Amino acid sequence: MNIELRNVRFSYGPIRALDGVSLQIGEGACGLLGPNGAGKSTLLKVLLGFLKPNAGDGLVLGHDILKDSFGIRRVVGYMPEDDCFIPGLDAVAFTSHFGELSGMPRAEAMKRAHDVLYYVGLGEARYRLLETYSAGMKQRLKLAQALVHDPKILFLDEPTANLDPQGRSEILELIADITSKKDLRVLISSHILTDIEQTCTSLVILNKGKVAAQGELAALREVRFSLYEMKVIGEAGPFLESLRRRECKVEETEDGIIKVYLPQAVGRRDLFRLAGEAAVQIRHFVKSRTSLEDLFARTVGVD
Amino acid sequence: MAIAERGYTHWQGTLGTGRKPWRVIAGQSIRLAWKRKYFKLAFFGALFPALFFAGGIYVSERISDFKEMMRGAEKFLQINPAYFQAYFGSSFLLFMMMVIMVGAGAGLISDDLRHNALPLYFSRPLRKRDYIGGKFASLAFFLLLLTLAPGLIFIVLKLIFAGSFKLLADYPWLPFSFIGWSIFLSSFLSLYTLLLSSLGRNRRFTSILILAVYFLSTAFFGIFFGIFHEPAFCLISIEMNLRQLSAALMGAKPLFNVPWIYSLLVLSAIMGASILVLRKKIRGTEVIR
Repeated sequence: MNIELRNVRFSYGPIRALDGVSLQIGEGACGLLGPNGAGKSTLLKVLLGFLKPNAGDGLVLGHDILKDSFGIRRVVGYMPEDDCFIPGLDAVAFTSHFGELSGMPRAEAMKRAHDVLYYVGLGEARYRLLETYSAGMKQRLKLAQALVHDPKILFLDEPTANLDPQGRSEILELIADITSKKDLRVLISSHILTDIEQTCTSLVILNKGKVAAQGELAALREVRFSLYEMKVIGEAGPFLESLRRRECKVEETEDGIIKVYLPQAVGRRDLFRLAGEAAVQIRHFVKSRTSLEDLFARTVGVD
Repeated sequence: MAIAERGYTHWQGTLGTGRKPWRVIAGQSIRLAWKRKYFKLAFFGALFPALFFAGGIYVSERISDFKEMMRGAEKFLQINPAYFQAYFGSSFLLFMMMVIMVGAGAGLISDDLRHNALPLYFSRPLRKRDYIGGKFASLAFFLLLLTLAPGLIFIVLKLIFAGSFKLLADYPWLPFSFIGWSIFLSSFLSLYTLLLSSLGRNRRFTSILILAVYFLSTAFFGIFFGIFHEPAFCLISIEMNLRQLSAALMGAKPLFNVPWIYSLLVLSAIMGASILVLRKKIRGTEVIR
């Protein structure tokens, strides 16, 4: 496992930000999903050793989060959520500075800074003062400084925040390219579902400081519930009511399509049986691929 | 071919573990300060007294050649601890040092706080003491160039111009006083500047704070001393405490009849408080409880 946490708790005074978080994250890109205030950024800070958990323990690439935060920081590249820079520096000086701080020799850090700045698309602007950078450029710069020392694992905190659609798609392309490297793991914290869907193969959903779901994205979509779309003829009210009584979540779209989330205890046959009992005919019936949005809504309990 | 066109590539080197991160931070901070035009101007301005006193050492050995010009200044041109105290304890030098501190130090931490740079620093294998030590070293570097370097050059010049070791024979402790005073002064002013720089997120605010605390403490001393004629009020002035202590270290007569140890205690307390506040304020993430 790349990241393993056991019963981690952390509180900001009376507010419990992480409440017994236990998780296991393997290879590839993993999304850390949750609504605002779910504890995503806090979890990243605990993993980096910025915050000491009140209880629990864990490992990041074999380094203990309580005892070896230095070891973790050597192998981690961190891209924080907020704009971060040092005024008065250009991108080359800034990026190489953090390369040196990670332990790179000065000349190597300088060379590598040029490389990563070209890679993130700041090649032409690398000698401009950072104060003059746009929001999108600052986002790329943060990615460059996270990559400069060639980390083994990247923590990206809201990597597409404050970006226009074009900038967002470019950053996601970069992340997709990075995650395509089999030996570079990525943990992306975001509340933007499509970002996670586009870049990650596994997922951890946090809600109110607790792990609401975790696993491979594909498996999560399958096992937790099944989504069916159908159209019915007849009085749909009693039918939908009987579905709801069996803990199915039912949504009706404007074009008359009924989306039904079936829990594991309810099967397709039950659906048809209930339709028969309610005297409605099912005229259109397809198993829908569960979108991340559906999964998120079901897990976190929001619409 | 641009890297972006060929995808992400790995770095082939190995990260060093024995490097000193504080040196990297100090180097970057020195380069940043030196990039400012006004800083260079202030720094060279601060070197003027050193040039003046070095000239004095030369003239003191050729006093007969400058008899007409130096009438009445013979006493000043006797090269003894009081001469060096006049340099190290001069208000102008201290003032210029404060200007240097504003130029090089006001934004050292406040800029990092304002632009959220601390998480970037502390996501590296870096301790608080590396960060604070690096910033401290950058300020101490400039201050030592204005104190220790001229002090040692003064001694060397005196030995060269006099052609004898009489100065060192008469005052063998002098080089140690120079070293001790330079290190203490640099440490105090660096910590004082870092403390005030960490108290705000705005460089202008911290610049004003650095100058205001220094000058207002002296102004209050002047007011109280004027009213009560009590020399112990010198303990509330940073400048007067520094001058008292420099006089004690140089073996010269202090400005006020107050034991120098009190000044040392006051200045040490400020340094201690600075370290405590810095350790509290500097962290990888802001935690609001």
